[in-house]
Amino acid sequence: MSDFDMALDYRTARAMYPHRPDLWHPPEFLYDPIPIPLDHPELPLFERLEANPSAVDPNRTSAVFTDPIPARMLNEFVYCPRLFYYEFVDNVFVESIDTERGSAIHKKVDKGRGDLPSAMPSVKDSAASAPASPASAEAEQEQEQEASTTPTAVQTDTIHSRSATLGSDRLGVLAKMDLVEVQLATISVPASASLPPSSGKSKTKATTPELDLFATPDPPSSKNQSQTQTQTHVQSVTPVDYKVGSPRIGENGVQLWDADKMQLGLQILILRDNHYHCDQGVIYYKETRQRVPLQMTPELEQWIINHIEQARQVAASPVKPEPLLNSPKCVRCSLAPVCLPDETRFMQRWSEASPHLDRNSFSKNRLSPTLTSSTTSTATQLSPRRLIAARDDERALYLNTQGARVTQRGEVLIVKEETATKGEFRLKDLSHLALFGNIQITTQAIQTLCEAEIPVAYFSQSGWFYGITRGHGLKNVFTRIEQFNTAQDPRRCLALAQRFVHGKIRNHRTQLMRNHVSLPDGVSLKLKRAASDALAARSIAELLGIEGAAANLYFQNFAGLIKVNPDDDELPGLEPQASTANSENNSDIDPSFTFDFNKRSRRPPADPVNALLSFAYSILAKDCTLAALAVGYDPYIGFYHQPRHGRPALALDLMEEFRPLIAESAVLTAINNRMITPAHFVRAGDAINLTQHGRKAFFQAYEQRINSLITHPIFDYKASYRRIIELQARMLARYLTGEIPEYVPMMTR
Amino acid sequence: MSARDINLSSRVTYLVCYDIANDKRLKKVFKLCKNYGNHLQYSIFECDLSPRERTRMEVELKSLIKSTEDQVLFVSLGPAEGRGDRVISALGKPYTHFDAPCYVV
Repeated sequence: MSDFDMALDYRTARAMYPHRPDLWHPPEFLYDPIPIPLDHPELPLFERLEANPSAVDPNRTSAVFTDPIPARMLNEFVYCPRLFYYEFVDNVFVESIDTERGSAIHKKVDKGRGDLPSAMPSVKDSAASAPASPASAEAEQEQEQEASTTPTAVQTDTIHSRSATLGSDRLGVLAKMDLVEVQLATISVPASASLPPSSGKSKTKATTPELDLFATPDPPSSKNQSQTQTQTHVQSVTPVDYKVGSPRIGENGVQLWDADKMQLGLQILILRDNHYHCDQGVIYYKETRQRVPLQMTPELEQWIINHIEQARQVAASPVKPEPLLNSPKCVRCSLAPVCLPDETRFMQRWSEASPHLDRNSFSKNRLSPTLTSSTTSTATQLSPRRLIAARDDERALYLNTQGARVTQRGEVLIVKEETATKGEFRLKDLSHLALFGNIQITTQAIQTLCEAEIPVAYFSQSGWFYGITRGHGLKNVFTRIEQFNTAQDPRRCLALAQRFVHGKIRNHRTQLMRNHVSLPDGVSLKLKRAASDALAARSIAELLGIEGAAANLYFQNFAGLIKVNPDDDELPGLEPQASTANSENNSDIDPSFTFDFNKRSRRPPADPVNALLSFAYSILAKDCTLAALAVGYDPYIGFYHQPRHGRPALALDLMEEFRPLIAESAVLTAINNRMITPAHFVRAGDAINLTQHGRKAFFQAYEQRINSLITHPIFDYKASYRRIIELQARMLARYLTGEIPEYVPMMTR
Repeated sequence: MSARDINLSSRVTYLVCYDIANDKRLKKVFKLCKNYGNHLQYSIFECDLSPRERTRMEVELKSLIKSTEDQVLFVSLGPAEGRGDRVISALGKPYTHFDAPCYVV
């Protein structure tokens, strides 16, 4: 082979020498990484790139490993290690009714100042109230007992200390204690028999948190100052933790839940490490109003220490723990929609047989990455429970009135045009805002929206998607790391791109077969073939070719899906409502506007149907971008769509399979149900655009579609399309992190 | 829906009615309710609340009202979804219930 041939890429070679496949270079050629020059002067700057991106560094010990772990997180760890990983490592929290109730009861508790009387005895002298020297920081059990037996007069007193935070270096944990009941003993001793300062070193190394000397009114005995010296010291402490729920009913009556045992046991150990005398703790269960005690035993201590060690290992590992298997805990877990326990388990075992994807093509496809399958293959294959709500409670707010102003008062957004209020919207009812054209929004409103995690998307009047504003969203960094790693691996990119395109073509075919008035022979077969070709494509370029050909075929037959005849509108009784709504524009209506569709045209769209399609894709891109951001991706780095400035490539990848299902479907519904009529369009130069009323009508059609419930073909439960976009995005993340062996696009039956 | 669907909580419509003895507190309660629902009549709001939102609203109300003098009633009208105008009808000025898939201005 000459050097000249080497310069040809796959497609060019195939075009030039169609009969000489030996000259077509293997498509991998296209994807060989550009060799890194070994002597490049700036090479040290890219040191991190030299590491093999796909290999997971087993020694990845971030700050996670050394940071103290809060006791609450260890409670979560005992409840579910995966929950612990999400909250502690990925920093993902989801509020639910239980967390809301929990924070409600903690509001009262957390009002405490967090100070706890010092474990060291405080001496009040008649002459000078000399505080105990810091060196005497020994409050060992024996000494306390000794002290409590010798004095001449003892008064005990119980005081409550709220939300004290203590840590233990030995265990590497931190705990915020709701309430600590402190048994104080006040000893009056003759002034002469002053306690000798004990200067022994503490036996256990403990953190010395900032413990203020206890600052309550002096005990009554301190009045008796002239003759005696009073010594107040902490006899014992009992941590009390508040829980919303009810205790576990075990064999021996009420018991603590394991997770609560962990948290409370830790509090006891931490108090001990801080030189308090502490043998037991109590959990107060709000629902049943029961105090359930816990005694510290050596076995319990060992059990706790073992769990801390395990949690530490899990936190340092880059691999998320497996979800619980069909556990009732998941039903009430606020993170279930993020964690998707059943769906993940289901997909791990799904590879064996699938009624939807062409399995043969998959097995032929040698580029498909082989990932280890789940170890729990013995478990029966149950269809997933639906642990996510079928639909969001929140709705989108589309702002389309040119010149409108958005301001904010309390938790309500107010939309004004000039001085007239056009609408008031509560934040709790909003999923996101979409601003089309010249809408003003105040900084205060944006700040409030960021805080409430409601994104704001900006579009031009004709629907060009500019971008998104949202609050701090840097969570789930590991998803993003895996995304970047995968985007650098051409083979994994190709494997994903194949599935995106496959899904899209299959859905195009379904759309035509379901809704076309009379589908020409062969179209369905051709699309079917194209879909399986897509799975066997050997390069992105080849895939683009397959996708383009299939899209051409689809749009050639698209006109058959439009079921309005221009003459119908002349019939009495079918007068479109838009002609009244749009009466002021009636004179401008171009009589040539019809819903005839010949071919797809964009930039600019040449006819009303194309204008609608472009507009619909733009809104769908927004929804896919929002889903990508919600899951924690960088929406601008894709696997099939190549990065380009300002293009949400990943969102476009995710969107492929949903184009026919949502965007095209919404367009067809809007046209066929006469929600949109020719009166809803204006011509601007070569471009055809929707009028303001047309956009308004289309938002409704689109949102109706994306909020409609559909049965997920694999998981077999109903959810809205919007939910399913997010579900697919999460399943894609599972694939990226290696939790499930493959990504399966959403394909309707 | 399949048998394995779990009945997930979603929003319930409540009529929230209050009787507040003190003007200062009344104003605060009114403002608070504005964050949760539609102002239907004097001291009556129509609120679509998820269990979580209801808990939050109750907690916030509790901190505002004086339990010996004021009262807030929550009247449940059933699931918010698909309710339409079924449970509320009006004489006189019309009552309208918003039930579109999205807000458009």
